[in-house]
Amino acid sequence: MDYLYDGSFDGLLTCIYHNYYLEKADGIYVQELYQPALLIESYSVVTNEQLSSRVYKAIEDKLSDESLHHIYHAFLSKYVDRENIILKYLRLGFRMGPRIDSYHTHPDVQPLHKIARKVTTEVHRFLGLLRFTDNGSFLHARLAPDHNILCMLADHFAERLRNERWIIEDEKRNLAVIYDGMTRNRGSKQRHWYIICLDAPLVYPAQGCDPYQELWKLYFNRISIESRSNPKLQTQFVPLRYRGNLVEFEPLMNET
Amino acid sequence: MDTMTKLSVLTGAAKYDVSCASSGVSRGNMGKMGSTRECGICHAWSDDGRCISLLKVLLSNDCIYDCRYCVNRRSNDLPRASFTANEIADLTMQFYRRNYIEGLFLSSAVEKSPDYTMEKIIKVLTLLRKTHEFFGYIHVKVLPGADPVLVRQAGLLADRMSVNIEQPSEQSLRLMAPQKTLPMVYTPMAQVRDEIRLYKEDRKRLRHTPRYVPGGQSTQMIIGATSDSDLTILQTTSKLYETFGLKRVYYSAYVPVNQDSNLPALATAPPLLREHRLYQSDWLLRYYHFDVEEIVDPVHANLETEIDPKMSWALRHPEFFPLEINRASYEELLRVPGIGVKSAQRILRQRRLAAVSGDELKKLGVAYKRAQYFITCKGIYGGSQPFDPTKVRTILAPQPQATQLSLF
Repeated sequence: MDYLYDGSFDGLLTCIYHNYYLEKADGIYVQELYQPALLIESYSVVTNEQLSSRVYKAIEDKLSDESLHHIYHAFLSKYVDRENIILKYLRLGFRMGPRIDSYHTHPDVQPLHKIARKVTTEVHRFLGLLRFTDNGSFLHARLAPDHNILCMLADHFAERLRNERWIIEDEKRNLAVIYDGMTRNRGSKQRHWYIICLDAPLVYPAQGCDPYQELWKLYFNRISIESRSNPKLQTQFVPLRYRGNLVEFEPLMNET
Repeated sequence: MDTMTKLSVLTGAAKYDVSCASSGVSRGNMGKMGSTRECGICHAWSDDGRCISLLKVLLSNDCIYDCRYCVNRRSNDLPRASFTANEIADLTMQFYRRNYIEGLFLSSAVEKSPDYTMEKIIKVLTLLRKTHEFFGYIHVKVLPGADPVLVRQAGLLADRMSVNIEQPSEQSLRLMAPQKTLPMVYTPMAQVRDEIRLYKEDRKRLRHTPRYVPGGQSTQMIIGATSDSDLTILQTTSKLYETFGLKRVYYSAYVPVNQDSNLPALATAPPLLREHRLYQSDWLLRYYHFDVEEIVDPVHANLETEIDPKMSWALRHPEFFPLEINRASYEELLRVPGIGVKSAQRILRQRRLAAVSGDELKKLGVAYKRAQYFITCKGIYGGSQPFDPTKVRTILAPQPQATQLSLF
């Protein structure tokens, strides 16, 4: 039996629940992307938060926080096969218990660790590589990450840019995080950011040139030491695919 | 002079400072803007592949000193500039808002006197911390010779402080920076060390004790401007870690900027490979439980360039190998070339469940190409060749570049 779900984490966990209490799953797929196979039946799972929270708690109790962390990050990755990697990992995990993450080389554990690590690495990268532009009414950042990492970035910026209003827009997935600095109270633990789906990329009337952007480009050029030039090393840290949204790789307006 | 020109001049003057770390402090946003992460965050990488984490500028490049190696020495004919406190604070805040930087690295040439300059630095820090309520990372240079009271004031505002030792020996320092002496460097270093300890003790008992240099202190020295051997450099490094509890010692391959009879010629390329090997040795000291004497000794006073220092040690100590991966202690595992801190920890975790085989080592992130000659897994020797230091050396040393023969 193939389980089909709506693409949410709760949906995935509901499928895991059914795998144990309804019928063993051959595979779990996102409904929209599913290509029916000839001999395998499929079943569209209705996301049920009660069931999913039971699975969530089971992972916390019987495995560990570390496992949960790995699973969630793997879920955010772009790989089509991620649900089945998670399923295999959990099947082994519920048998082995919290020791599972020590078993790095097990064929059911390693793939999960691998894709989870790719996501954590990208999240960390974008904490630095995100660039806001000030358009007069709010700060706006665009990014095109490999994985669906928006929700992992939001807390960090809600903390440090607490009094600002900002939007972080994922160009690839047409998603955006919106944070309205005005509503956040000091000391309250509640997060005041939302993730919304966009119909089209955000556009607003072009602003005049931002002087700080020019200063930053100037700084970026001046800080490098010519006799140590090492573009290969630079590309390792800032792959070319990220550079479209990095203002420092645009030429200076007026070369001084 | 407008901000654009000032930034251009004072960035160009600051770029030879190496440190750009924003790590070691974990703090939420307790004011209007800014927070710090324990791991530090790099925001950009410049054309030379070095990371940009902090806005690294000089407050002024108008120096009274005439250190021979320095771009900003008094006798150089250069455009001179000084930022005002407001200009720097504004740049920092605006860059930070746009997520260009993780904070500020403020250094300065000695303008008029160390005290005068230090006071100006403190003014910038106060403006940022108190007026703008900025809680991002601040790294500040301590100017040798500044008053202890000023050093303490700066320490209460900054996350990390550093006093540059510049040269690994007294003799080189005298040659390169005639107006500086080693005690001028060691005095503030000792003061910061003692005060870090003091404030930490107080904080255990009194919750509201302010934090003092929570990110610890660091220093940097220039490599290749004088004839000091790697032995001298590493001995000084190790002494700095032990005596002053430094977080980091940075090495800076000397880029010739001045014509001077005591310095390498202007066209000399910076000794980048040597710098790299020194950093590798520095890691051995800090994370791999090595002693300086194991890395370099009077007979081998300089590090080998073809192979890394750990491999070099391993080849000089064949009696230590091969090592059984499933029995070796953590410290022993760290001695194997090709096994790092992460992979050693993974080996420890996994072998509690089952003995580790050679194939699994590769999956654990071990550089098996190098490690194979030094280990056995479940009693089986891993190498494709019997362990013979000279042979292993020829296999692992980089092959000389093949060049096209000329036809004529």
